[in-house]
Amino acid sequence: MTMRVSLFVTCLADQLWPAAAAGAVEVLRRVGCSVEFDERQTCCGQPAFNTGYRPEARALARRLIEVFESSDADAIVSPSGSCTAMLRHYEQLFEDAGWRARARRLGERTHELSSFLVNRLGVEDVGASFPARLTWHDACHGLRDLGIRDEPRRLLRRVRGAELVELSPASVEACCGFGGTFSVKYPELSVAILDEKVDAIERAGVDVVVSGDASCLLQIGGRLSRRGSSVRPVHLAEVLASRRSSPP
Amino acid sequence: MSFERSARAALADEQLRGALRHATTLFGERRRAAMATLPDWEGARDRARAIKDETLLHLDRYLEEFTANAERAGARVHWARDAATACEIIGRIAAERGARTVVKSKSMASEEIHLNAALAARGIEPVETDLGEYIIQLAGEAPSHIVAPAIHKTRRQIGALFAEKLGMEPSDDVAKLAAAARRALRRRFAEADLGVSGVNFAVAETGTILILENEGNARLTTSLPRTHIALMGIEKVIPRFADLEVFLQLLPRSGTGQVLTAYQSLLTGAKRRPEDEGPAELHIVLLDNGRSGMLAAPVTRQSLACIRCGACLNACPVYRQIGGHAYGSVYPGPIGAVLTPQLFGLGRSSELPYASSLCGACRDVCPVKIDIPALLLHLRAEVVATRAGKPRLLERLAFSAYAAVMARPRLFESVVRLARMLRVMLPLGAWTKWRDLRPLAPRSFREEWRTRLRHEVAR
Amino acid sequence: MIRTADARREILRAIRESLAESAAGGGAAREGPVEPRAAGPGSAVGSTGSADPGAKPRGSTGPAAGASKDVVSSFTERLAAVGAQCTVVRGEAAAAHALADILTDAAARRVVGSDAPLVQRLLSALGDGFVRERLEGLSRDGLFACDAGVTTAQWGIAETGTLVLESAREKNRLLSLVPPIHVALLSSTCLCDSLGDALARMSRASHAITLITGPSRTSDIELTLVVGVHGPQVVHVLLLEEEP
Repeated sequence: MTMRVSLFVTCLADQLWPAAAAGAVEVLRRVGCSVEFDERQTCCGQPAFNTGYRPEARALARRLIEVFESSDADAIVSPSGSCTAMLRHYEQLFEDAGWRARARRLGERTHELSSFLVNRLGVEDVGASFPARLTWHDACHGLRDLGIRDEPRRLLRRVRGAELVELSPASVEACCGFGGTFSVKYPELSVAILDEKVDAIERAGVDVVVSGDASCLLQIGGRLSRRGSSVRPVHLAEVLASRRSSPP
Repeated sequence: MSFERSARAALADEQLRGALRHATTLFGERRRAAMATLPDWEGARDRARAIKDETLLHLDRYLEEFTANAERAGARVHWARDAATACEIIGRIAAERGARTVVKSKSMASEEIHLNAALAARGIEPVETDLGEYIIQLAGEAPSHIVAPAIHKTRRQIGALFAEKLGMEPSDDVAKLAAAARRALRRRFAEADLGVSGVNFAVAETGTILILENEGNARLTTSLPRTHIALMGIEKVIPRFADLEVFLQLLPRSGTGQVLTAYQSLLTGAKRRPEDEGPAELHIVLLDNGRSGMLAAPVTRQSLACIRCGACLNACPVYRQIGGHAYGSVYPGPIGAVLTPQLFGLGRSSELPYASSLCGACRDVCPVKIDIPALLLHLRAEVVATRAGKPRLLERLAFSAYAAVMARPRLFESVVRLARMLRVMLPLGAWTKWRDLRPLAPRSFREEWRTRLRHEVAR
Repeated sequence: MIRTADARREILRAIRESLAESAAGGGAAREGPVEPRAAGPGSAVGSTGSADPGAKPRGSTGPAAGASKDVVSSFTERLAAVGAQCTVVRGEAAAAHALADILTDAAARRVVGSDAPLVQRLLSALGDGFVRERLEGLSRDGLFACDAGVTTAQWGIAETGTLVLESAREKNRLLSLVPPIHVALLSSTCLCDSLGDALARMSRASHAITLITGPSRTSDIELTLVVGVHGPQVVHVLLLEEEP
């Protein structure tokens, strides 16, 4: 039976990294899911929530709960650990028992892409091909809020031509320093943290750094580009969707 | 100085950053190695947290039980609602005994109430005896780490300091520096009239206070002088003597990466007979100073579970870059960013809850599972709701506009389309000074979906 | 003038108000009262230790008497790991010899012992070449001038390499701390497996219980280990096995 998936694209992937979103659609269809996308969705409200603007975050949470309640899809899947984690936090925005239950239900239906593929569908080989030396950046919210550590690695190891290189133990789970508004409020601090991560990525001698969150990729990619590095930032969904036979 | 400015100053100090990188990395490695020696680390964390939760939910009764048992064993217990009262109590005890020199072992609570300044104002000389505290006292600085107060200093800087203050030959030999401090402090111990210590745990069941340390200075402080004053936050109490086990398993491993620190002193009252060793009097000062208010909600109450191990500092990417002084508080790092606003008011420290990328590494390493990111988010919401600190007019405007736009998908699309046309993207300067900004995609996903993707099927 | 009774009432009221507010806000309720436990000095609440020096160890995990080879070897291994030394001897005569050797090797001349009878017997068996100070009437400066302090330890903890010294048993606080060398006599029948085991056995009649794990140490300068900063540089355990 076909699994029906509703895509939670996230505003960042929608506008800045559409290839990640398109890649997610491609991969989900390839493993046999049907994919729908509700164009009424915008932002999950995380920037407001993380900066302390709870009423604004609550309004957007209510909206998104209603948008996804109108779908009877089997699961909601997102190419972002951070935004998935935000949906799981929705419950604490409400005091009303009804809204809390609705928020909880949305959180339970929503899955980050790699976790959905590996844990829900039991798929590790998605038929991808991506000839490159690559390393994986654990985005903090996926790693620590959702406990996603092995899933993307298992998927990447099955990608033809891809060689997964782990960062040094001290750097592998280190934050990239993005932190949403933190990267704007304290740019020097954010970049100081980022530089340690980028140093580790460059030391690993890879062609590509892969992550499950467009936000981290913006941060890491922005610094790699400024430092004139040849390492390219690529979203996990792009790698999994790829069928290329030559290096990117 | 604002957090922003002091953080920037710290980032420009290469020597400081080198010292921090070295120390926090080493602390992290030692902690992981020590963790592996306890078979059920997660179980121990859960037990410790459950004990703290139970205590905090009945803190009034456990404090009364502790007080009754400590007094029965011969201690005098004093209650201090705030820092000024605590300083007054300790200053008065010292003055009444004609004390001229007070030896102190490391106590974060005494830093919190600025006890040294209060004693000095009475003409009583406080002498810090923990090596790290001694170093920063000689340097006229504040501690920059909960466990290792002089973590920001290199051996060369300390050698120069000792040469100037102790008149020793300049040296960067760590053993020689420690020996010089030992010699200088032995003299102070010999003449001290009174000792002031902190408390790591206070057992309600027996009225016992427990002090952990490595150097032996706390043992000297609590054994040699005639009078011992122990200062403790009211959250230090735990119910039972047997509860000490799990905390003694967690604290040294998390703090210094040791299975056990060199010394634990378990003190129950003053000495019983004149011929016994130890101080004739033990005074215990219970300090509230804003703690009781934290009990009012579960999210803030967990702040009081902290056992001051410092693991969250070492794990924090922000602390690792800037060290403790930038936080402008005796409690730095992630736990400091949540304790400082609660203890000293949000108005004076409204920036601190924002001094985090919310990566969650602090929560992972916390031996009592304090959800520091949740606390940071809670305090950020308080900052916005109470309009604490600076006005944030632009920020408020920006988030109102953001919420209005994001509630309307068509408006959202038009705004992004306009931004793409004008090639603008917030937040510009702050971002692009050090990082390139990925441009908005020529076509958004939703446009791709509408025109192409929705019609396609699996390939 | 601070009225401490008022401060106490005020703090307790503030605590109760906060907890009530938390409970009203959906926080965890304070289910069931906690019975205050009275436990004055010497009361037996949960205590299995005793101030009586003749008391045999009793503990939740059974008697430690006849310590197994395993406990002894894990104790000595942990001692080595924390930088303490250990000599295992059988019988008092052997202990006296070992003590003389330890003090001679450490170049300790001025020695002070606790008031424990065993310590006194071993010290009086020491030959010439040592200055035996008496703890009674020893000034602070006199104590600071001693090279070695000799005490007993009431318990040893195998899993951590820790010595437990109880103040009710002898005058051990300063002797185990001030001189640069601390020699501790410990019966192998008093070894506990774990910290929890030792906590259950400690005599709560002592106003001071000191746990000692290796020599005094600091890492306050660049996290570099220095041994013997305020307390002893050398901790030597003389582990006495009973004579067959």
